[in-house]
Parts: sequence; C-alpha cells; structure tokens
Amino acid sequence: MDYLIDGLATALRLLAAGDAETFSAVWITLAASGMSIAACLAIGAPLGFLIGYHDFPGRRAVRIAVDTALCFPTVVIGLLVYLLLSRQGPLGDLGLLFTIPGMSVGLTLLGIPIVMAMTALAVEQADARLRLTLLTLGANGRQVLFATLWETRYHLMLAGVAAFGRIVSEVGISMMVGGNIKWHTRTITTAIALETGKGDYALGIALGLVLLAIALLLNLVLAGLRRRAGR
Amino acid sequence: MSGHETRSGHPLPPDTPVAHVCGDPAEAGTGVPCTRGNAPLYQLEGVVRRHGDRTVLDVPRLDIAAGGITGVVGPNGGGKSTLLRLLALLDAPCRGQLRFAGEAVGPLSSGRTADLRRSVTLLLQEPYLLRRSVYENVAFGLSVRSGRSVRFWRSGHGVRETADAVRGALELVALDPDVFLRRRWFELSGGEAQRVALAARLAFSPRVLLMDEPTASLDEDSAARIADAARAVAERGTTVIVVSHDRDWLEPLAGRILKVRRGQVEG
Repeated sequence: MDYLIDGLATALRLLAAGDAETFSAVWITLAASGMSIAACLAIGAPLGFLIGYHDFPGRRAVRIAVDTALCFPTVVIGLLVYLLLSRQGPLGDLGLLFTIPGMSVGLTLLGIPIVMAMTALAVEQADARLRLTLLTLGANGRQVLFATLWETRYHLMLAGVAAFGRIVSEVGISMMVGGNIKWHTRTITTAIALETGKGDYALGIALGLVLLAIALLLNLVLAGLRRRAGR
Repeated sequence: MSGHETRSGHPLPPDTPVAHVCGDPAEAGTGVPCTRGNAPLYQLEGVVRRHGDRTVLDVPRLDIAAGGITGVVGPNGGGKSTLLRLLALLDAPCRGQLRFAGEAVGPLSSGRTADLRRSVTLLLQEPYLLRRSVYENVAFGLSVRSGRSVRFWRSGHGVRETADAVRGALELVALDPDVFLRRRWFELSGGEAQRVALAARLAFSPRVLLMDEPTASLDEDSAARIADAARAVAERGTTVIVVSHDRDWLEPLAGRILKVRRGQVEG
C-alpha cells in the first residue's frame, strides 16, 4: 500500500513543480487530439448530415458500416495508418510517421465514425417540422444544411466532446504511429504504459491524474450540453 | 368573366384585390412573373395526389385568383393539408399539372421551383421556432434571401432595413418589438410563438401566405390578432389561403370558401 501512497505524493509534487516531462506528454496529447478533433468535425459532421438527412440507396448499409467502425480496435487503425505512412507505404513520402500530424491522421480515423454516427442521429431525431419550416421560409439546400447543423449545434458539440474523449484516452494508435518518442510523440497514455512497465509509478499516476481531470472536465461539458440540447 | 371573378367563375368580394401588386419585395430577384389582370395565381388541372395506393386529393380543375383571402374547410383527413402542401410547392402532384403565376411547376428539386417557392410561405398548424431569439426567427426569411447572417444585426449593410422589417412584422401580429425582440424561443407562450411564426413569414412580404389551422390552439384574442394580420397583408396584395375548422372565425374573414371533402374540392 505504501508504494501507492508514495507514488501519489510524488505525482502531486511532479504536477505542482511543473515537471517538463509530464507536461510535454500533456501538451503532445492535446496537440494531437486538438488537430484530429478539428478534422473529425470538418469531415464527420457534413457526412453525418448527409446520411441522417438524405434517403439514398445503400443508406442502411452505410449506417451499419459507420456503426461498425465505432467498435474498430485502435491497434488495427494504428496498424493500417502505420502501413500507409511507413517508408514503403503509399503515403511514405509525406514523412508523417512518428510525428504528431501522423498520429492525428490515425486519431482522426478513430473519431470520424463517432462524429458521423452522432451527427446522423441528431439530424434524424431533429424535429420533423424543422425542414418544412426552413423550406417555407425560403431556405435553399445549402441554407437548409447549415441551419439544420446550427439547430442541432448542441448535439454536434456533444459528438465532438464524445469523440475527443475517445481520442484523448486511446493508446494503440499513438503507440504504433507515434512511436512513443520522448519529447516528440510521447502522449499521456503511452507514457503511462511505458512508465508502469518500468516500475516508475509516480509519473504514471501524475499523468493518470491529468487524464482524469480532462475526463472530468469533458463530462461536465457533456452534462451542460445535454441539458441545453434537451431544452 | 368579370374582373372580380376567378376563371372558374367564383365571385370575390368587391374590395378583394384580384391581381398581385407588381414590384413586391417578395418577387425581387426570384424571377417569378407577376399575374396581371385576372389571370389566376394558381391553376390546378387534373391534379391527383396519392399516398401509396390511396388517392388523397383529386382536383379536375381549380383556379385561385391573386389577392384576397381564401378559406379552406372540410373534415379531418379530407385533403385540406395535402392541398395546402401542393400550393406551398412542398409536394408535387402525382398526376396533372400545377401552374403558379402562369408557370408550370417543375420537379421539386429544381432550382426554378425553389425560386418559385420563395414567393410562397406556409404557417404550420404547430409552428416550429428556430432555437434562436425572436429577432433572429423573424429575420431568418430575409437573411436567406440576402445571404447575410442575421446574428450580426447590430452592424453591416442592410441591417437597418432588416430591423425595420422585423419590427413592422411584429407590430402586424400585435407583439411589441421592444418587449419581444430579444426573447428566446422558449420564453414564449403558445399564442406568442404562433404570432412570432406568422411574423417570420410576413417579414419578407410573401406573395402567398398559406396558413394551416392557425387558430387551433389559440384563445379568442390571439385568434382575432391572427385575423387582423391576415386582413392587413391581404390589403397589401398578398394572397392569403387559410385552412380552418373554425367557420365562425373563417367566414367573416374569407372572400371565398373552398370545401375539401374526401379529396374533392368544391367552391
């Protein structure tokens, strides 16, 4: 039991002292997650709107594929992106392997199905009178799209926060595509895995506390958004 | 046929304007032709609308003149709302031809139909207010026409005109702009929400205002305000078509009453 208490005390000291290694992992995590969540929303929200709003042949199959992608193991995504970005891969010339943008590519693939599925659900569940109202007020197709996304904005934010929660806490993609390089691509989760393996629990606990704080913050935001979305 | 009759011979009250006032802001930029003289605004020929195998509307011939107030009555499930959706250019006939302002209405997805639809508006029985302020709700129709965001209403070109139109529309439905402009959608009673929804449609001076049971859940006072607003816009040249079960409210208001029963239109 003592090693747990010692580990916690050391972890708090590391955080209070602003330990460079600890905060490097936090910064890299936020940078990679921030880049990927922006890409997830830019790509996933319009695609989610399309499958939630339009009835087209094969829509059901697309929904099933998106829902299946929600359960995709992160190590499989990591392997796929690794193969694409590796020197012999089709995107090897971009030099993205073992970089933060490279990790963001993998994390974006993880987050897009979440944003797509939640956006499609929000649009499907939007009040049936919304579309009629927009059309009878004179909105064209593009204006209907943007106005519907604005009307479901709290649900979209909910999708973004949920995707961010998944991205920030994953380990497989960051480990395989980032390579867990200290000061460069070591994230909170990969650092915890490494330091625990080495028996250095203090750094692992300190980073775990940061991750828990992020999770708490996300959940507070989610609760607020759910309340506003339900109004 | 006199100047105060529809092509199908239905009389209109002497003071009913029979032609739309050309130069209406609703037509600006839409390319929708004006109807002149006594040419009908709507012409339905052999129009059939089906839901599955069931025929819900079958109209061999119906003309509706521009201007004035037309009432539509009939039992539930008779086809009134189906007729209204056709006139709002939200649905297309399964068979037959619908002409609006002398022009045959094409596929709903065509850009031309979208242009025509901009001169027509429909107030739903249970209107939906956008999750925004009253100002933004009422200005929405103007903003989609101008392509400008209404949320930046404190500055920018054309903002004064938008603000004036919004205030004017709220005054038409007897809501004090100083009290209501900044209210949010969830701060309104049912009657106020109905009147804000109507103001949102009046703000852009539509050529045709269609209303589906606008007084269904309103008290007498609110219903009277809706009637006053309908009269006011009809006097300005807007063609008003109202579906209502409340004949006591509708008959003094409408110059012509259409009866829709089992998909057939009479009157």
